[in-house]
Amino acid sequence: MSELRFEDVTVRYGTGRRAMKAVDGVSLTVPTGQVVGLVGESGSGKSTLARAAVGLAPIAAGRVLLDGRDVRHRPARGSGRAVQMVFQDPYACLDPRMSVGDSVAEAIPRTGTAARRAEVTRLFGLVGLDAAHISSRPSELSGGQCQRVALARALAARPQIVVADEITSALDVSVQGTVLNLVRDLQQQTRLGMLFISHNLAVVRYVSDIIAVMYLGRIVECGPAHEVLTDPQHPYTRELLAAAPHRDGYAANSAHEESGAVLDTEPPDPHHLPAGCRFHPRCPVGPLALPARTDCLSLDPAVGAVGRRHATACHFAAPLPTPSHQAT
Amino acid sequence: MAVEFEALRAGGDQEPRDEAHASVRDGEVRGLPGGNRWLGVLRTPLGWCAATLLLLVLLLAVFAPLLWSGRADAIDTGQILQGSSGRHWLGTDNLGRDIFYRLLVATRLSIALALLATALGVATGLVLGVAPALLGRRVGRTVTAVVNVAVAFPGLLLALFFAVVFGVGAKGAVLAIGFAMAPGFARLTQTLVASLSERDYVHAARVAGVGRLRILTRHVLPNVSDPLIVNATISAGGALLAFSGLSFLGLGVQAPSYDWGRLLGEGLNGIYTHPAAALAPGAAVVIAGLAFNLTGEAVAKAVGVPTASRSRAPRPAEMPAAPSATAVVPEADAAEVPGEQPVLSVEGLRVSFPGPHGPVTAVRGVGLNVGEGEAVGVVGESGSGKSLTALAVSRLVEHPGEVDADRIDFLGTSLLTEPSHSAVNRRLLGTSLAMVFQDPMTSFNPAMRVGRQLAEVAEQHFGAGRSEALSRAVERLRQVRMSAAARRAAQYPHELSGGMRQRAMIALALMGRPRLIVADEPTTALDVTVQRQVLRLLDTVRAGDGVALLLISHDIHVVAQTCDRILVMYAGRIVEELPSDRLFTTAQHPYTRALIAAVPHMETALDRPLTVIPGRPVTPDRTPAGCAFAARCPVAQDRCRVDDPRLESVEPGHRVACWYPQTGAGPADSLDGKAAFTGEEAELTAGRAEPIAARAEPLAGEGEQP
Repeated sequence: MSELRFEDVTVRYGTGRRAMKAVDGVSLTVPTGQVVGLVGESGSGKSTLARAAVGLAPIAAGRVLLDGRDVRHRPARGSGRAVQMVFQDPYACLDPRMSVGDSVAEAIPRTGTAARRAEVTRLFGLVGLDAAHISSRPSELSGGQCQRVALARALAARPQIVVADEITSALDVSVQGTVLNLVRDLQQQTRLGMLFISHNLAVVRYVSDIIAVMYLGRIVECGPAHEVLTDPQHPYTRELLAAAPHRDGYAANSAHEESGAVLDTEPPDPHHLPAGCRFHPRCPVGPLALPARTDCLSLDPAVGAVGRRHATACHFAAPLPTPSHQAT
Repeated sequence: MAVEFEALRAGGDQEPRDEAHASVRDGEVRGLPGGNRWLGVLRTPLGWCAATLLLLVLLLAVFAPLLWSGRADAIDTGQILQGSSGRHWLGTDNLGRDIFYRLLVATRLSIALALLATALGVATGLVLGVAPALLGRRVGRTVTAVVNVAVAFPGLLLALFFAVVFGVGAKGAVLAIGFAMAPGFARLTQTLVASLSERDYVHAARVAGVGRLRILTRHVLPNVSDPLIVNATISAGGALLAFSGLSFLGLGVQAPSYDWGRLLGEGLNGIYTHPAAALAPGAAVVIAGLAFNLTGEAVAKAVGVPTASRSRAPRPAEMPAAPSATAVVPEADAAEVPGEQPVLSVEGLRVSFPGPHGPVTAVRGVGLNVGEGEAVGVVGESGSGKSLTALAVSRLVEHPGEVDADRIDFLGTSLLTEPSHSAVNRRLLGTSLAMVFQDPMTSFNPAMRVGRQLAEVAEQHFGAGRSEALSRAVERLRQVRMSAAARRAAQYPHELSGGMRQRAMIALALMGRPRLIVADEPTTALDVTVQRQVLRLLDTVRAGDGVALLLISHDIHVVAQTCDRILVMYAGRIVEELPSDRLFTTAQHPYTRALIAAVPHMETALDRPLTVIPGRPVTPDRTPAGCAFAARCPVAQDRCRVDDPRLESVEPGHRVACWYPQTGAGPADSLDGKAAFTGEEAELTAGRAEPIAARAEPLAGEGEQP
């Protein structure tokens, strides 16, 4: 199988003074057969990064490599696209005038009609849909079923990597679980590499092997899921963790609650990025709370991030433990 | 209604619609049911008018020359330039030919040329319109620029120009009108194609490796065809008019052929002596033009571009659902009345909408009380009626929705006795009740500065002056912890971030002197961190000003965190009411327990599938007899399917509508894989000991039962 690597990827929208880097020099690896969960708030660039991987967003700098090959190079005809994507809105991502079977069939690399039909049936079985639904239209199916069709279509192209962009956020609570179970199940059956994007940390935690946290176009922390969750290094990760739902409601008062005033400030405008650390205007352990930390105002913490635990973009994150850091 | 239907749509799992209903939107694909839709349009005045006129015009075009060519061409030099008479209804022309028959015979040429020109225009326009999508960016841009310049040219001027280029005559005129029509059509096509190219399903096809041409023919063109067909039909009317104009000017059809424009031109010379000869061709042009235009409108109605919303409206039940619903309604829940006078007291609230098969009752007898300074949460899935409950309480349910209740008392005043727009109600609701909606972007006027919108409340209800009102607005913005409040007040809503807009919305709510804030999914559109801030803000406002809060949310965690008391709704009824601190430990209704278990949280066991609720939510139009949750309930007995349980008190402050309330291990624990829902034998201890367990072997996922 194969690994997907983002190398210093930058995606820029607009020109001149209105230019904005939605993704700014992001490097991230989706290793073979593993699920990388990408969390962050809206506007952090996580969806743009996903779109860059499948060629829907223009890459201004850097490369997206699949097994060392640039994904932008057109694959040989009929071989299918190696990176596939599942979208957020299950209704919007299916052509309302086409039967869902046709939508899936369309993504299958060139074969004969009979083989194609058999493959559609197999894929429907794989995602737990009744073959009777093959000739249905999206409007006749429920949200959960449409999302299954979307998954089947992504798998139809025989991908090596699947990018799932907020695939459960448009679904009702009771349906969300079935789709997440399916995703996990499929991933474990097929050992596909996966980039799973969500704003919900609890959902990401459930499916991911590796968790990457994105803030304002940068990845600020990335490491094995349980390590990031138990020992978060970046204050923003800690903030996300504090906001995530727990067994008995939200953890009512986290350690940083008293410094909530700092966090109440508005997320900065991506057109005018703060100098130094991008998180400093909101950081509960940054210069606003601790005036001695002047580094945050001028020095970019992305520099030297690799030397810190979870490659954290924070000047005050713990360094890598010695002996060398062990990945799981 | 829109709110709830939107919710239904967003919500996901609903009944699959039956064949007939689903195919309403793709009439052209399936035979009979689609035909029904066309028949429906035919029954409207517009429909039959258009059809009759079009049929008449087309029949004339086909048969008139066959039947009456002889009479139309018969020259009678004895009867030159006669007025109307019994023999010649519209008189005769300068060769003594009967104008009436000439008019009828001219139909074919007039219509045929107009249609030909339209076909040419549409074809050219279509090619130019899709070219940018096919040719890539650089060439595409050039094509777009050319089309844009052409659009800016007056059509008739273009036609005259082409007429000169192609030579005077019918052929030249067809080309002229066709090409003159093309830019407009190309522009429309371009816009439609461009907007459709940004749709997810087109993206999805691109990602799947489908080629440009194929995307265009399979995904884009079918989905833009409706507006294009409508436009083409209406253009045909325009072409007819333009053609008549050219012929009238002598640039179109040349003798000895004749069309209406030519007849008009010939008749005009004698308009003072026998006006019928000039007026009749004019009337013919008008009638034929009207036929095309009305047909265009009718087609627009029939193909109904907003397909999704139409097909997503709750479906009429074939089963006698409505009677069963009404049978249930009388058992409205009486709210438990607390000691003091509640801010809001609702009993037996019902909201219904007319459906094709009788009224659909979306809220079926809800009773609730909100005490002074109390925070009450309403939680439920989409389609549970929670938003409608909120709207009904605020008297915001719009026609054709009907609100009915035994009691809606707000601050001791009944909102039922007064008509909803009476001055008393407006004053009371305007100042004492505030509403916060899910999407603050759509609840603010985008063309008005935030400060002004807030100030309006003070001006309206408190008679404050302009500057006084504005300073009060700024003060309120500051109160909701908006940084640089004065500057924010001068900004437009779109300049604020989502969280800031929601703050402004809350500030707006505080502009009056609210005693109750009804917040309908106030944080759903926000990020988790911002969500927490907004919830905290609502809490601060409540604590500071003693404002009661009715919070509607689909997120049980949000509600549990913010509210004192929680009402769980399912299928338009309250199924459980309990204090929020007991929600995760002593919830008794199977639905509440399932809902809690289904939400993944930071301690969810990683080594087993997530708990799911089998089946799908009940839609308002198909409410079954008995308990609405029975079909999905793991503990349902026969009785549940027949008898609808009433909301009964099980202990102080805790009411459950269930025949077999569940006690024992708290619902929060059952999500570690309680057998009842996952259908698996689970070791109840594993995974609970270590909150973050190592990833275990794959387990089969839960199927969503169709």
